[in-house]
Amino acid sequence: MSHLNSKIWCAVRSLSVAVAAVALLLAPSAHAAVPGITGTSFSLNAGVGYSSQPDGVLIYSWGYGCATGFTPVFRPTAVAGAVCPTMQLPGPTLIVTEGQSFTVNLTNSLPAAAGNTSIVFPGLTLVSTSGGTAGLLTAEAAPGGMVTYTVSAPVGTAGTHSYYSGTQADLQIEMGLFGAVVVLPATIPSTCTATEPGRVDYRLAPAAYNHALTCYDREYLTQWSEIDPKIHRQVEDQLKLIASCPTTAGLQFSCPTRLDVVTEPYHPVYFLINGRSMPDDMDANYAPNYPNQPYNANPHMHPGELILLRVIGQGHWQHPFHEHGNHVRILGRDGHLLVSQTNASLLAGRMEFNTDTTPGQAFDGIFYWSGKGLGWDIFGHTPGNTGNPPCHPDANGYYTTHSSPAALIPTYDTSGLMISGAPNYYEWCADHDVPLEANPVGQVGGGGPMTLPDPLIVTNGLWYNGTPYLGPDAVGRSRGPSPLPPGAALQNPPPESGIAFMWHSHNEREITTSDVFPGGMLQMMLVDPYVWNIDETL
Amino acid sequence: MRKSLQVWLPTVLVCLLAAVASAQAGYQGGGSFHVQCPTATVRHPGSTATGGTGTVVTPHPELAEAPYTGPQIRTATKDPTGAHTFTPALTFADNGGAIKCQEISGGDGMMTEADGNQTFMFAFGPLSGLGLIRNGLPGTLFANDFNLPYTAATFNNGLANPNSDGTDPSSATAPGANGAITDPAAIMNTGVLNGSIPAPLMAFDEDDEFFLTLSNVGMIMRPDLFEQHTVHFHGYPNASSFYDGVPDASIAINIGGSFTYYYLAPDAGTYFWHCHVTPPEHLQMGMVGQLFVRPRQNRVPSGNSLYNASVLQQNDLRTSCYPALPATTTQPGPDILCSAPLPAANNGVTQGTDASGNLFKYVYNDGDGSTRYDIDVPIQIHGFDPNFHFVGMTFNPEGFADMKDKYFLLNGRSYPDTVGVAGGPADVLGQLAGASNPEPTTHAITTTDTDSLSRASQPLPTLITLSASGGPVSATCPAAPCGQRAALRIADLDVQEYQTLSSIGIPMQLVGFNAKLLRDQAGNNMYVTTNSITLGGGESLDVILDSTGVPPGTYFLYTPQLDHLSNDAENFGGLMTEVVVTP
Repeated sequence: MSHLNSKIWCAVRSLSVAVAAVALLLAPSAHAAVPGITGTSFSLNAGVGYSSQPDGVLIYSWGYGCATGFTPVFRPTAVAGAVCPTMQLPGPTLIVTEGQSFTVNLTNSLPAAAGNTSIVFPGLTLVSTSGGTAGLLTAEAAPGGMVTYTVSAPVGTAGTHSYYSGTQADLQIEMGLFGAVVVLPATIPSTCTATEPGRVDYRLAPAAYNHALTCYDREYLTQWSEIDPKIHRQVEDQLKLIASCPTTAGLQFSCPTRLDVVTEPYHPVYFLINGRSMPDDMDANYAPNYPNQPYNANPHMHPGELILLRVIGQGHWQHPFHEHGNHVRILGRDGHLLVSQTNASLLAGRMEFNTDTTPGQAFDGIFYWSGKGLGWDIFGHTPGNTGNPPCHPDANGYYTTHSSPAALIPTYDTSGLMISGAPNYYEWCADHDVPLEANPVGQVGGGGPMTLPDPLIVTNGLWYNGTPYLGPDAVGRSRGPSPLPPGAALQNPPPESGIAFMWHSHNEREITTSDVFPGGMLQMMLVDPYVWNIDETL
Repeated sequence: MRKSLQVWLPTVLVCLLAAVASAQAGYQGGGSFHVQCPTATVRHPGSTATGGTGTVVTPHPELAEAPYTGPQIRTATKDPTGAHTFTPALTFADNGGAIKCQEISGGDGMMTEADGNQTFMFAFGPLSGLGLIRNGLPGTLFANDFNLPYTAATFNNGLANPNSDGTDPSSATAPGANGAITDPAAIMNTGVLNGSIPAPLMAFDEDDEFFLTLSNVGMIMRPDLFEQHTVHFHGYPNASSFYDGVPDASIAINIGGSFTYYYLAPDAGTYFWHCHVTPPEHLQMGMVGQLFVRPRQNRVPSGNSLYNASVLQQNDLRTSCYPALPATTTQPGPDILCSAPLPAANNGVTQGTDASGNLFKYVYNDGDGSTRYDIDVPIQIHGFDPNFHFVGMTFNPEGFADMKDKYFLLNGRSYPDTVGVAGGPADVLGQLAGASNPEPTTHAITTTDTDSLSRASQPLPTLITLSASGGPVSATCPAAPCGQRAALRIADLDVQEYQTLSSIGIPMQLVGFNAKLLRDQAGNNMYVTTNSITLGGGESLDVILDSTGVPPGTYFLYTPQLDHLSNDAENFGGLMTEVVVTP
């Protein structure tokens, strides 16, 4: 916002940041998981609704939802408040199991002028259709009509897939007719961990594929798409015109009956993750203020946890999804695991810090953050300090249950307080006690390489916990008598005191909402200390 | 209702906090510049006593690297100043490395497009290694070199330097042209309008400690702004958020302040860096730079087995790719993101030296010599939207929604300026013949700024010259004649669209992607031989061009996105450069 004078700058910049601020004040710990519906029979509806954008604009859209009368079974069960409206953006995430078949009954509730609609399931096997009318790619549901698809997820299709309209796709997908299919592996490798004691399991399964190197601890699904509002406006305007056309004999000769929408040149100005723009994507799943956009994008993790990223490109464009904090090991594309050609027990997918989202393509990847190799103690431990926990390296150098003596896995009571376990579980022991700061501050010792800047010459971020360190213990000790600096820790106060990383499109224009920065394809990922229980239900 | 509440309540809050902060700054004297570059640390104490046990690998980290012979376990009971004691002692796996420093300004500057248009930038400029940067070289220095005084005759704003000893400011080798500028007045006298595209080049070695000081000198062309700046080290694995440069997750540097970023050099590879404040604006406006980390394998002594050096890296848990696969109840699984698993087989290759007696250079710790190269070619792909830059210079609101790049840049230059080497070959239209710009000795393109002073704005040509017989016999060429190999370290910082670069005549071998060697977990190299690569914004990769067996001549790297072969209104130029193969 360099173009504005300082007062206006302040107002405008804080406008968008502030939207995030209030959103998170309303729901201070909105996490994500992979919410969806499961079963072997789904009744979906293609309907009309509005997409809410953080600049206040409501955009006329079409989307899949749950048909009236259909009672979906929600997963994960721990995520409360689940709803499946008759139209949502993206459509309901369908959770099915490898080797099984499922049916989808689709009702076309779009305006008659929109014509037929349908669903295709790329990568899965269409066994049969019934009740529809013939279409180019698949059987279609006529306006007011229905079609039934019987689909199988054959062995070898575990992973993340998309589904979307196979009818006039340039318009119907742009309008919002897309969703995700998660195929759970039929067989779970025996080495994958069951739920650890004291921790609620938010996973759909312990592994992404039937392969021991695809075990994971948490998972997040993101679907990346764009909106060109001119297209949506044309549709809405033409439908109004059609609806208002006189029916009097002799006057209706010029009335259109079908949409005639110009979709090119394509000029999107809204850039969405799971149907929401930042900061709306940081609100909770099923937040009531987004009646048609139930899914969020707000990843959290503890150090060392293996995070399964399920990512789908759903729009027109590719987006370079940049994960701050570490690389992602690509597991597979479109449900095909990439393994070494000389040893199928080992992985062959690339490691990337920018994972391209490509229209019509899904990938699965594993991310983790551990602080390994920083060269200083992220917990601000000081040798000999009272209460300084030990760090015994396991074979990988971390303080875990494999250490000797073993670290205790953190456990939590029902209110989320840690009741036992190592607060520095999964610490990178090579940096244990290694100081960052040249001079002692509070109860964090000196002798390190750095003198930190005068707090008055810097500006603090909303997610900055006020210190370089991780966790409320380190934040408290390193501040000494000083309060947290102004502006810091508004979104990340003690006792969370995590460290935040931006996950965003690195075609940076796409982290705007229309002309406003910040917005668009932007999430804030938080690495939380183990003393903070990550509750995905909130 | 929801929207308006969200807008106004926190706006008041945030602006109130800003007002409080600035009031405090007023009575406490505000910020100050402060440059940090120690010559000894507890990790690299050199000859300074730090107690404990074991031998320090690098005897002089302030001025030289040490050979890599595997990690040495060492303890320390005090820091190099002796002021702080550690009980119990700290333990280090000492792999060598040194202390490197660099200083940059965050401010503004002007550059010259290939069609002659002068373009305003938000930009970083060098405040150390000025001579190196001006010659297209990395400005990263050993601590001792960094801490020498800057003694060139004048500062960049034309004022006399009181420390002048007559040093030529364009020298890449004179210490006085490259020492850091640390005096606050000198920082302003040099840093204002000092910005360049690409931003100052950085390169250091695995296991180094890197101290990077950013001093925010403000933007004299935009006195209405109080923009903060940061450095985002893009791709740093297992980053801390404090040094990650995202202003929302950390701190951002106000005008008049300095912040020293501290990085223990991560795994070898091609990374890059940029400001992370309002990225769609600050990146489009030019705050984008290149950075690469050289592998430990470069420090393996001549004659030593590269495979064995790879095995030694398994003794350092940071770079170890094992233990067992997969996890069991008694054994953790492997690091799923470990950088360089052992090659599938030991090919017996040993470290060698080139004709000048220098140790071979590698892009990665490959253990098999397959990423050896002769010439570093950092290439930054970028795009400028002249409308956005013009609006940004003229105190008006820039729009994001209609951003459209019209200049397509390799290292801040479009063709034919990409091959703009004084005395170099003329382009196909002969346009460079007799040109006075770029500078005859440094090859930097200069731009006359609004204060009528000329500054080096685009120091890096991308003309690549390879001798088809000038390379050494090595793992990739068992018998002479061997051609030279160029490592194209390509990073795309475009903020608007994907970019493709094609090679006509010389195949590209893609060996690294996003600062990771392309190798599967079983040790098989997954290199890709191709004639084109495509990158989105924020992506990097490593391509080797091997001139072995290539007939002498001029070859082209250019984009097959044909509308990007233009310089705004000129239907000519754009994302293109030349590779000259000599016999």
